[in-house]
Amino acid sequence: MTKLRDVFITGTGAFLPGPAVGVAGMENHLGRVYGRDSILGKRVLRWNGIETRHYAMGTDGSVLHTSADMCARAVQAALDDAGGELKKLQFLATATTQGDYLVPGHATAVQGALAGPPMEIASFQSVCCSSLMAAKAAWLSVRAGEHDMAVACASEFSSRWFQPSFYEGTALCDEKGRLCAEADFLRFTLSDGAGAVVCEPKPSNKGVSLRISYIDIVSLAGTFDPCMWAGAPLDGRDDLVNAWSHAGPVKAHAAGAISLLQDFQLLKRVIRAWIGVYLKKVDEGRINPQEVDWLLCHYSAKSLRQEIISLLKNTAGMIAEEKWFSVLKEKGNTGSASIWIMLDALLKSGKLAPGQKVLCVVPESGRAMVGFLMAEAV
Amino acid sequence: VSESVSDVLRRLTIVFTGLEQRLESLPLLRKLSRGKFSLADYQALLVGLRQQVKHGARWMSRAASNISEPHLELRSIVMRHAVAEHRDYRLLESDYVATSGALADIQGAPMNIGSEALSAWMFHEASKPNPFGLLGAMWVIEGLGAIKAREWGLAIKQSLSLPDGAVRFLLYHGENDTNHIEEFHRMLSLVLPDDATAQRIIRTAEVTARLYALQIEEIAT
Repeated sequence: MTKLRDVFITGTGAFLPGPAVGVAGMENHLGRVYGRDSILGKRVLRWNGIETRHYAMGTDGSVLHTSADMCARAVQAALDDAGGELKKLQFLATATTQGDYLVPGHATAVQGALAGPPMEIASFQSVCCSSLMAAKAAWLSVRAGEHDMAVACASEFSSRWFQPSFYEGTALCDEKGRLCAEADFLRFTLSDGAGAVVCEPKPSNKGVSLRISYIDIVSLAGTFDPCMWAGAPLDGRDDLVNAWSHAGPVKAHAAGAISLLQDFQLLKRVIRAWIGVYLKKVDEGRINPQEVDWLLCHYSAKSLRQEIISLLKNTAGMIAEEKWFSVLKEKGNTGSASIWIMLDALLKSGKLAPGQKVLCVVPESGRAMVGFLMAEAV
Repeated sequence: VSESVSDVLRRLTIVFTGLEQRLESLPLLRKLSRGKFSLADYQALLVGLRQQVKHGARWMSRAASNISEPHLELRSIVMRHAVAEHRDYRLLESDYVATSGALADIQGAPMNIGSEALSAWMFHEASKPNPFGLLGAMWVIEGLGAIKAREWGLAIKQSLSLPDGAVRFLLYHGENDTNHIEEFHRMLSLVLPDDATAQRIIRTAEVTARLYALQIEEIAT
């Protein structure tokens, strides 16, 4: 049997489109549904604590960068960071919630945007956790000796879906033209960007590299209904016959089945399920909270309710707040791209020292999933 | 909290989240989360819960009577819990009546298979000397009261457009049991560290969680 190799993240890259947009400019950017200010927006922003974010859409609705273009730029930045060349890239694993096309996969669009040479590709699609699905494929392919250079990348162009015309005239707006909370919440939560990491069997000869210890992904979709979804209306989403593909695009749009939606009641239960999965990892010794030097999670400790923090403290599962590294406040929640944008910022902050352990936690409310990437700086 | 208490609390939390996931996919509760819950479903839920609620204070009293002198403080706490809860089933009955159900119907309903198993298990454990394992059962039952009851109560109230007076048991439990969970840490620290006790608490929580879910599963609608 081939000996498994150590695999290192030798370079990271991030791409954020356009200027940083503050809270005051958000609605000008996304547009107002039926010209109304959002009722929910301010509350959502207080909860998530995001102060600035980026949009790949201009205030006039123009496209500054496609999702594939943003992803390609992040990949190029990561390759540059690793001192690698595109022509040596052997495997490209992409992640996104919704790419520019429905078909074919996002990886084809990113390879196209890169004008990359012939290579193996894989497209992973879910929500935030798709990032780690791609990373696991990249990590394992290098680990098994299939490839000597692989990239895992992710991009999101959420704002495209947040334009007023996507909601107006659909069942998501009431008779007064107010957008339902399930849709409006996400308009104030998600923004655009891309991130990438390069995986190689040797550490970089400059700067700090990360040796990946493991990537674990646990999905609970066998238990939960969709919690954050697009492609089915608010009611009856549990029956796939109601999905957009069966209704057809015009009827589906009218039914509100095209937009991204979030079920808050279910989200509370999904958060507890994530905690259960995490504590199980702690209990099995897979994660030792005391050994973690940097925790990257696209939730901030502040956005977690106090009872969850005290639960984690009481169960010896809490990773001290000073070890939480986040750029959520400045760079926004970019879904699957978030974790790489955060890792890129950590590596470039100069704060990470060799020997330190980094734990990336990627919760996905989509249908209740959570992923973990543990790595050690070398 | 001490390391031995944290270790038990962690494993109990894992048991609870496992129970919550099992409950999530039960047909009766699926109806609730999918907006298809009927008044008949609610009445069946109240009937299904009544026996366990009624027996709760009784097995706690029996457990308290089996706690020996060196553990008097724990005995006091368990007795207080039993007192606090021993009339709760009346509230549940009045909720049933407020939904136009007949009192005789809920009082005369037989226990379902899950309730039979749960009740038998609780009294069996409570009859042992120093039945500290039952702290695991209390964690499960009180956790359900603190976390699930209020969630169900609010969802039922909203989906069936019921007045507060018809959902008092589920809503009231949500408020009351939060303090109980804080007190729970203290109860654990009275019997830990002790490996055998820790194991028994977790095992008892696992069995109780499974039988509780069976009770909900067996509610006929």
